Amino acid sequence: MTKAVVSLALISLWLVVLVPANADAQASQPTPPVAAPERTTAVSGYMDFHFNKREFEDGRLDFHRFVLLITHRFSDRIRFVSELEVEHALVEGLEEAGELELEQAYVDFLLSRRVNVRAGMLLVPVGIINERHEPPTYYGVERPFVDTVIVPTTWFDVGAGVFGEFGKGWRYRAYVMSPLNAREFTAEDGLREGIQKGSDTNIGRPAVTGRLEYVGVRGLTVAASFWTGRSGFEFRPRFDVPVSLGEADIRYSRDRLELRGQFARVAISNAGLLNDAMGRAVGVDPNVASGLRGFYGEAGYRVISGASYGDVGVFARYENFDTQFKMPSGYLPLTQLDRDALVLGATYWPDPDIALKFDYSGIRSRNSTIREPNSFNIGLGWWF
Amino acid sequence: MRYLLLGILAASAGATAAMAVQQAPQVVEISVERFSFTPSEFRVKAGAPVEIRLRSDDTDHGFRIVGTDINVAIPKRGKGVATVTFVPPQAGKYVFECSKLCGAGHGFMRGSLIAE
Repeated sequence: MTKAVVSLALISLWLVVLVPANADAQASQPTPPVAAPERTTAVSGYMDFHFNKREFEDGRLDFHRFVLLITHRFSDRIRFVSELEVEHALVEGLEEAGELELEQAYVDFLLSRRVNVRAGMLLVPVGIINERHEPPTYYGVERPFVDTVIVPTTWFDVGAGVFGEFGKGWRYRAYVMSPLNAREFTAEDGLREGIQKGSDTNIGRPAVTGRLEYVGVRGLTVAASFWTGRSGFEFRPRFDVPVSLGEADIRYSRDRLELRGQFARVAISNAGLLNDAMGRAVGVDPNVASGLRGFYGEAGYRVISGASYGDVGVFARYENFDTQFKMPSGYLPLTQLDRDALVLGATYWPDPDIALKFDYSGIRSRNSTIREPNSFNIGLGWWF
Repeated sequence: MRYLLLGILAASAGATAAMAVQQAPQVVEISVERFSFTPSEFRVKAGAPVEIRLRSDDTDHGFRIVGTDINVAIPKRGKGVATVTFVPPQAGKYVFECSKLCGAGHGFMRGSLIAE
């Protein structure tokens, strides 16, 4: 894997060095008049303000996300992109309160339509939501459960790689990134707590991730993505915990209609060894599964579209998500973590960049004793 | 004499129609959304005008042809269509991109106009 990283770094360096050569080659051909190079900095962002009322509990008000995006163009071929997020409004040291997260901070070297180089803090290119998560772009107050406990959005880490487009609407990205830390995996939330988040990360055995998508037909996106890495680096004696995630998704929108579907499957090898090691370390066996699986289908329709006061849409989403889908030998699954959800709701867009959302989320698990609480949610999200 | 006059009129009408056909720009309609242009690559004639019509399905975007002074705002969904006319001076590939920061994947919004 280390050889792969070195190779990728050398290729990236070669490509960067190649840019002027290509530019010179193009310059020898007739070219359009060149405008003065722009040096521009832009600031944008989005906010997400929620009311959540879970069954049997008091309602909660939460300023869930305050996100600022800052970009800068050094030249037509080099640019910087960043995304800084405050979650739950408050950040306190050593407290389970909010988080201040640097979710993106990378530099792009734009070489050609087919190949470009990117390095820094990157979003993992997996799933519908992880790279496209501005509140007005999706139905529902909270993100889908599958995009929370199977694909751990917002999933970001440090790395480098290439991206580009080819043919009529085919796009790809391929990155080498920091691996997940298996010591933080849990039975309930799967991989979620294992993200190193670019903070002095272990890169002994880097992970590899990629996505191929087709966007050649108006309103249609069909994609498949993967992530694979070795995550046992914190254990002594060291042992491998290979983790792989495969995912496929489709999104279609035309006029008033929007359809979405996603399937994701995670495989954790040596989960038995992982549970043993964590059990010895903390005294409690975490019952981490060797397989996680989730999928959902969603249909949304704008019942009012183009009115002077805005648009109104309604939606329904069915989800199945199981963080104990397959267990290592000798372990039994926690059946309350094999769950279905039916989410019904509506969104009012007074402006295309402002979304007032309502939904009701009904959850059922395979366990007849432990009941998952249903919830009613209201959200106000905006992009500027 | 009457036939001569009719002949001149017919020839003039034909010439006018031919000129109109020659000058009618090629029209390309592009659908825009976070984070793609569809189509993201299209071919036009070098030296001839192309009328590019851009309609957003979500937020406002921008359309900038790198290396030229073409840079227009694309209004939000339901707020209209941005139209820009471009005459590629020479054959070659012209890169275009979104010039308005539109979200986490803004950087993916690029495409190519190929003039032949």
